[in-house]
Amino acid sequence: MRLLVWLPLLVLALPFTSFLLLAVVAPLRRAGRVAGAVGIAAIAASLGGALLIWNEGFRHTATWAWLPGDGGPMATVGLLVDPLANAMLVLVTLVSFLVQVYSLAYLADEPAPALGRYYTYQSLFAFSMLGLVLSPGFLQMFVFWELVGLCSYLLIGYWYQRPAAARAAVKAFWITKLGDLGFIIGIVMLWAATGTFEFATLFAKAQAHALAIPALGTIMFLIYLGAVGKSAQFPLHVWLPDAMEGPTPVSALIHAATMVTAGVYMVTRAQPLFALVPDVLALIGWVGAFTALLAATMACVENDIKRVLAYSTVSQLGYMMAAAGAGAAEAGFFHLLTHGLFKALLFLGAGAVIHAVGSNDIFRMGGLFRAMPQTGLVFLVGTLALAGVPPLAGFFSKEAVLGGVWAAHMTWPFVMLALTAFLTAFYMFRVVFTAFFGPATAAGHAHEPAWAMRGPLWLLAALTVLLGLRLAAGGGEAHGPAWLAPLSVGLALAGVALAWAMYQRGALDPRRVAAAFPLSVLDALARRRYGLDALYDGLYRGFVLALSRLVGWIDRYLVDGVLNVASAWTLRGGDALRRIQSGVPQDYVFGVAFGVLFLVVWARLWMR
Amino acid sequence: MTGETVAFWVVAAALLASSLAVVLTPNLFHAVLYLAAALVATGLVFLLLDAPFLFGVQLLLYAGGVVTIVVFAIMLTERLVGERITQASRHVFNGGVVAAAVFVAVAGFLLQGPATPPRPPLAGDTTVAIGRALVGPFAVTLELLGLLLVAALLGALYLARTEE
Amino acid sequence: MSLGAYLTLAALVFAIGLFGVLTRRNAVGILLGIELMLNAVNINLVAFARFHGDVAGLVFTLFTIAITVAEVAVGLAIVIVIFRVRRTVDADRLDLLRG
Repeated sequence: MRLLVWLPLLVLALPFTSFLLLAVVAPLRRAGRVAGAVGIAAIAASLGGALLIWNEGFRHTATWAWLPGDGGPMATVGLLVDPLANAMLVLVTLVSFLVQVYSLAYLADEPAPALGRYYTYQSLFAFSMLGLVLSPGFLQMFVFWELVGLCSYLLIGYWYQRPAAARAAVKAFWITKLGDLGFIIGIVMLWAATGTFEFATLFAKAQAHALAIPALGTIMFLIYLGAVGKSAQFPLHVWLPDAMEGPTPVSALIHAATMVTAGVYMVTRAQPLFALVPDVLALIGWVGAFTALLAATMACVENDIKRVLAYSTVSQLGYMMAAAGAGAAEAGFFHLLTHGLFKALLFLGAGAVIHAVGSNDIFRMGGLFRAMPQTGLVFLVGTLALAGVPPLAGFFSKEAVLGGVWAAHMTWPFVMLALTAFLTAFYMFRVVFTAFFGPATAAGHAHEPAWAMRGPLWLLAALTVLLGLRLAAGGGEAHGPAWLAPLSVGLALAGVALAWAMYQRGALDPRRVAAAFPLSVLDALARRRYGLDALYDGLYRGFVLALSRLVGWIDRYLVDGVLNVASAWTLRGGDALRRIQSGVPQDYVFGVAFGVLFLVVWARLWMR
Repeated sequence: MTGETVAFWVVAAALLASSLAVVLTPNLFHAVLYLAAALVATGLVFLLLDAPFLFGVQLLLYAGGVVTIVVFAIMLTERLVGERITQASRHVFNGGVVAAAVFVAVAGFLLQGPATPPRPPLAGDTTVAIGRALVGPFAVTLELLGLLLVAALLGALYLARTEE
Repeated sequence: MSLGAYLTLAALVFAIGLFGVLTRRNAVGILLGIELMLNAVNINLVAFARFHGDVAGLVFTLFTIAITVAEVAVGLAIVIVIFRVRRTVDADRLDLLRG
């Protein structure tokens, strides 16, 4: 058991070591594939440690003083290992490991230094995410929270030569920072009120009803804002689809399985605190459900396969948040874990397809199932899991979420989520039917990817199926009323059927359906992303650019003006003063004599 | 009026007179000679203060050495310039006022200061005391001074040598 | 005679030396003024040493004299160099440092 105490630290330290090694030893980094091997070895060892911890069901809290202060440290750092963290550890290390292996093949055409850079960022990300998961307090969590944000920025902008990628990276950074601003203010306010950042202390106080802070509602709302940004909740969800400019494995790891779920993880972690403020909790639930529905409608009209998956991720994050808001945080976290598996699977599958076809547009694919049956099969498994078809993992977690929301008597959010379930099945099968089963419109070079890519795919697919079977065999606790399971299966199947009718069978013309009255409005809105991007654009232009112009004017005329006047005066003053410097030695002696006299007078008058 | 008092006034008068002559005479050569007189008078003041050794040093080094060097320098520069060096003065009024002000300032402190202690009886031979102090607490300083003199000698040589 | 008399005498010599430094045009003349000022300081030192019974003042006077000798040697060497270069020792015309 003694070993286990150090194991979490080791799990955390390994990726960091790899990062340091790659960051400092430039030749290693520039070697590309060698750097990849270093990163993969580190994360593989981490995965082993995480599995060991998880298997033991290890619980442990270790903190060290960080900011010393009067009467005990102001803040601590440490490791908090509990079942929640354990499960997250396994998910993070597993997906990181698989993604890093996958990237070796996916990014094989990259120049070696760029590949080394990629693995440096990957190691840093793994370290940061693990640190976030293991945080025993808000402050440490915030530090790692920002670190993963940084990694996200770096990896979205991996192809920084592309203007779109650079812009997307900046956009992701700014918009998540908007939420983080609330997060840090909330943390500091909470600290001011309670004097601690630590979860354990805060939860103990919450349990003892010692947290009767009048501003707790505001504080928790501000902290929730951090999750809104990070987990792409409405209205800050706009960065996630754009983040698809990064390499697909990055999308799978950061923007599907791990980083974006940090918000859900934080809300789950701080559940005892959120439970004290029902209003905020309800808001979380409503926003989550609304986000889920909104993103699902946008996914239905998107043609870019990665963007469909991105909207789907936003939608599923809404699911998790809705569950957390309904007080069923375990259900949300459960969905987080299963979603992490099959969404990573879907992204990696999509990556394989994009790699093969060379395009993101699903209407330029088609008949791919024949060309790459293995990829098609695993993609189908992921799609079924996402659609919530039993007995795959997604079904159980989705049902748990729906049951939790229903149990909390949040009827409208429940309806929105149910509608989302239907739309999810529809848009996912729209992709599957169009890309894999439609008429073969692709150029024809489509082929199965290398084993380094296929291996992770198969592993994730197997895990999705096995987890589902295990849950099915376990009987699956009843999450809510008896009609729930049939309803959710029915909705999923209806979605599949509609997609089949529209995109496979051709019984319904998508264009005519979209033109029908109530849907036509929705279609137009969804295609314009509900004007949110335009709104942000306008705000950006209106506010930031106007502000920049104002600042520029101030800088040019006020700041520079003051400087110019000051420098002119200095010049003129110096010109006047230089006449004192006659260059004749005796004049300087006069100066010395006057100095002595001044000192004498000064001593006489003021030194008594 | 003791003999010492009479001697002080005589020496003081000689010192002040020759000092004034140094700064007032237009002929530089004469000024150097007056300086020699002033230095000798200073030496006599030292003698009045029971410091015969310093009197000797003053005569040998100052009145002997320094004045000789200055005379050499004047003759050398005179030869270089090729004309007799007379020296004019500038800002005589300003200089007088400032110098007088400095004197008044210092004298003010003297008047205001505490009553001067009476002259204590002489405690042994000052020359012996100086000798002991030089090789005792001031030994390092003395060595450093030797170093400084060597450096000054070399520096003066370097500066004054002709370019060849 | 009291200590005050000696100090006043020294102050007078100092003032005279200062006057010389301030008014002389010739660089050698300035040096002579400096000598006078240093002498005044020496008188002070010796007088204090005598009236306080402290030998340190005498030793310091000795050091001052030695340093003065060095200063005069170097100073005159500089004056000679200036002569060679600028053909003058008029302090008014040695104004390369003019601002």
